[in-house]
Parts: sequence; C-alpha cells; structure tokens
Amino acid sequence: MSSPISRACARPEREPSRRQLLAAGSAGLALAALPDAARSATQTPLAELIARVTEGATPMRGGIVFDIPQLVENGNSVDVAIGIDSPMTEADHVRWIHVIAEKNPYPNVARFHLSPRSGRARISATLRLATSQKVAVVAALSNGSYFMADADIVVTLSACIDGG
Amino acid sequence: MTTRAALFIGLSLATTVATAQEIRPGSAFLSPEMRRQQSDEARNPGFLWVEQGEELFSRRSGEAPACITCHADPERSLKGAATRYPQVDAGSGKLINLEGRIEQCRTQRQRQPAFGYESPELLGLTAYLASLSRGLPMSVTTDGAAKPYLDAGKAVYERRQGQLNLSCRQCHDDLVGEKLRGDTISHGVGTGYPAYRLEWNEVGSLHRRLRACSLGVRATQFDYGAPEYLALELYLAARAKGLPLESPGLRR
Amino acid sequence: MANFNARITMPAEAKAGEIVEIRVLVRHPMDRGGQVDAEGRIVPRKILNRLTVTYAGEPVFRFDMHTGISANPFVSFTTRAVETGDLVFEWREDGGAVFTRTARLVVT
Repeated sequence: MSSPISRACARPEREPSRRQLLAAGSAGLALAALPDAARSATQTPLAELIARVTEGATPMRGGIVFDIPQLVENGNSVDVAIGIDSPMTEADHVRWIHVIAEKNPYPNVARFHLSPRSGRARISATLRLATSQKVAVVAALSNGSYFMADADIVVTLSACIDGG
Repeated sequence: MTTRAALFIGLSLATTVATAQEIRPGSAFLSPEMRRQQSDEARNPGFLWVEQGEELFSRRSGEAPACITCHADPERSLKGAATRYPQVDAGSGKLINLEGRIEQCRTQRQRQPAFGYESPELLGLTAYLASLSRGLPMSVTTDGAAKPYLDAGKAVYERRQGQLNLSCRQCHDDLVGEKLRGDTISHGVGTGYPAYRLEWNEVGSLHRRLRACSLGVRATQFDYGAPEYLALELYLAARAKGLPLESPGLRR
Repeated sequence: MANFNARITMPAEAKAGEIVEIRVLVRHPMDRGGQVDAEGRIVPRKILNRLTVTYAGEPVFRFDMHTGISANPFVSFTTRAVETGDLVFEWREDGGAVFTRTARLVVT
C-alpha cells in the first residue's frame, strides 16, 4: 500500500481503538497477570516507534544532551531542552530532532527541523505527558546517521484538581 | 524524608529565620525551575493574559471611554493599586475585590455590559492591573469598615467544612511544607492570583482556586464573587500583608 | 481564534555571524480532542500543528507539533544573524487557520 506521505509522518496504524482497549480490559484478569503482554498488546514498543522515524535504521546512543525533569510536577507542561554537539555546517549538521513519548495516546510529540542557518543545534519546548513513561529523542544528521537518547520520567499527580 | 528535610531547610534559608508562623509566598513552595519561570516574562504564560489586558485597557468599546481615558499612565497611576484589594467600596459599603472594581467601572462608568467573572477579558484586565503591582507589598486595609469583613473571612478560614471536615487552617497553617500527593502544602496566600496554573492550562482567578479548595474538602462551592470568598480573600490578603504581589503567578 | 497572541523574545540587534536565541510563547489551548467541556460536549481536536519561521525570506526553522505539545506552548531555537531582515513566524492551526507575526532583526 503506497502512501503519499512518508512512513515517518504517517499516523500509527496499529494503535487499537478505545473500544478494543476496553474489550481487552474486560477480557479478563489474564492480562493483569501478564503486565508485559498487556502492555505490548495495547502499545507500540518504543523501538518500533523509533524505527518508524529512522525508516528502519538503528540510531546510535549518545551525543545528545537531553534535559528533562525526572520528576514532573504536572504532565500538562513539561520542559525539555535538547542540544546536540554539531558544527551545523552545510557538510555536517543536524537535520531534525524528533521527540517520542512512548505512552502518550499519540506517541509522536514533536519534530524540530534545523539547518546550517540554525548555527547551533539547541532547542527547548513544553511537552504534555499523559503518564509516567520513557521519553526518547531521535536526531537525524546530514550524513544519514541517527542518534538517540531517552529518559524515564515520573509524572506526579496534582492534589488540587477541580475538573476545570 | 531526607529530601523533605532538605527542602524545608532550603526554604528556611531562602526566607531567613523561618518560624512556623512566618507566612511565605506561594512561589516559595515551587520548584526552583518554576520559580525562575514565574519571573521570566518570556516564559511565564500568564503574561499572555497580561498583554491582552493591557490591550483592552486602551481599547474603546462603542461610545464609552477606554479605561486609559481616566486612568492615564497606568504604569504609574495604578502602580500599587492591586495591593490594596479587596477593599470596602465607599459608595456601597460592600467589600469589593479587583475583579469587582473593574466590573464596576465597566458597568457604571463605561456603561458597558459586565465581562463576567472568569471571562478572558476580565482575567486579562485583572492580571494586567495586578502585574502593575508586581513585587510590591500587599497592603490591604483591615480596620474600620473592613474589620467586620476581616472577621468574617477569618471565620471562614477557621471553620471546619465539607465531608472531610477540614478547615483552611488545618492544612495551610498546621501542615505547611507537607506533601499532598504531588503538591507541597503552602500557606495558601493568594498573592499570585490571577495565576497561570498548569492544572488549568490557563490563567484563573483566586476565586476559581478557592472553588477548587472547596471541592477538595467536599464542601459547598460558593459562586464566583460570593461574600464568603470575598471575605476570605480579604483575610488571606491581610495574612499576606507585606509579602510581594506575584501575579501573574505560575502554579502547579 | 480571538485570543491568539504571541510573545516573541529575541534581541533587536545582532552582529553578523552571531547566533541569536529566539523564544516564542503562544496563547492557544492546543485542544487534543476527546475532552468534555463544561456543557458536556466533546471538544474536537484543534491544535497549532506547525510553526514555520523564515528570516529575510529564507526558511530557518520549523516546529511540527502533535497533541503531545502543551497548551500555550513555548519553544526556543537559534539562528545565525546574516543580514538585517524580518523574521516571519507562521502558525498553522487544524482546520487551516493561519496566524502570522513578524519581528525585525537588525544586523550590524
């Protein structure tokens, strides 16, 4: 099946619907006894999410300064700062930086497109994290290689919610 | 436990000789990162509302004069004004907060329909006027005509209420610094409001925050601008006397 | 959207070759869809899905946003000062609405 948009930009197709999730939940406690199986039944593994944006290539670890609080006060707004040591020249630069939140309803969170005009490969932004999870960063370099970093984030719950 | 102790020591140092009774601003209970962001106008989303309020302040609607027609040079003429609210309105003898004063100007002087509590316009104007007093000490009047309102507010603060049968005081005096789920219990001063709360994803008024407190202890939620919340607002402001006004605050 | 506004923080002047940091804060609820509002209605997804920045006509930055970006989003990035010109910020919202802001950078 051909698609006019690249696989990297496509909506995840194998995400189960809410109804399927509910059905899975009511299918019994068998899943509860097998948390790993349950998780893989309802979620695309991080490795696969990463492979989608790298179009199959395995990114190298390291080279990325990934600054995100390990303990998040409120998942509604989570500061991230990402920096990559790159000369940002025509011959050697970061093309884009992609952020994946494994357990968000829509795990692809953002992509930052850079160029030699950026001067530096450094961005920051505010994410929305649905729950405690692993957040990964993938960077695409001009030479076709990919780098990645990830972090385990705990999202705490606010005490004073008012439904507003 | 160690972390909490360390945090407590950190806060104590930040406010010099901290005693159990010394009232600290809401920002003292934030992470250093959020505290830094609160003061950064390029980063605190509350300033988006301040900007809207500033724009509304100069804008005319219909035949009515704009706010700025009477209140020229607001950066000077209204500097410090927000630190004196709530106050007793000379005309009616009733307690009125900053939101109430803006609505009063709007309906009686500009002869325009009220914006309504928690409307983006009223929040914007309130945040803008409050921002003109940023860093100035809270200085509400508590004697004379204000005294009965202060007493009423104190009574609300100390009265056990709701299904959890809790008074404001039981948390905000007796358990300050303790954890409540992901939050740290503060002294409950309202000096950051209108504030941008991450929980809300927007700016909200102090009364919205108080309504959340009421809900939290499963008590009756009073209406926005209700006498109970107005009196409580005065008591909180009196309790915070001398503390810097922080609006637009950044809160969890 | 009536309440859209943007705060763009960057130096007004820079030396040629200097790398300037640009910080952008935007007012937008970034409705991710599926929430229930006060009247019990389902809120449809409506987010800013892209910010593109051009500098003196040349694209210098693009930020693709999905539902995992916060309400009233903040973003910062850098660009190298090359010539005096306008930085044009263009946000695209679900449904096709476009918001534009401009900031001038004077290069000495």
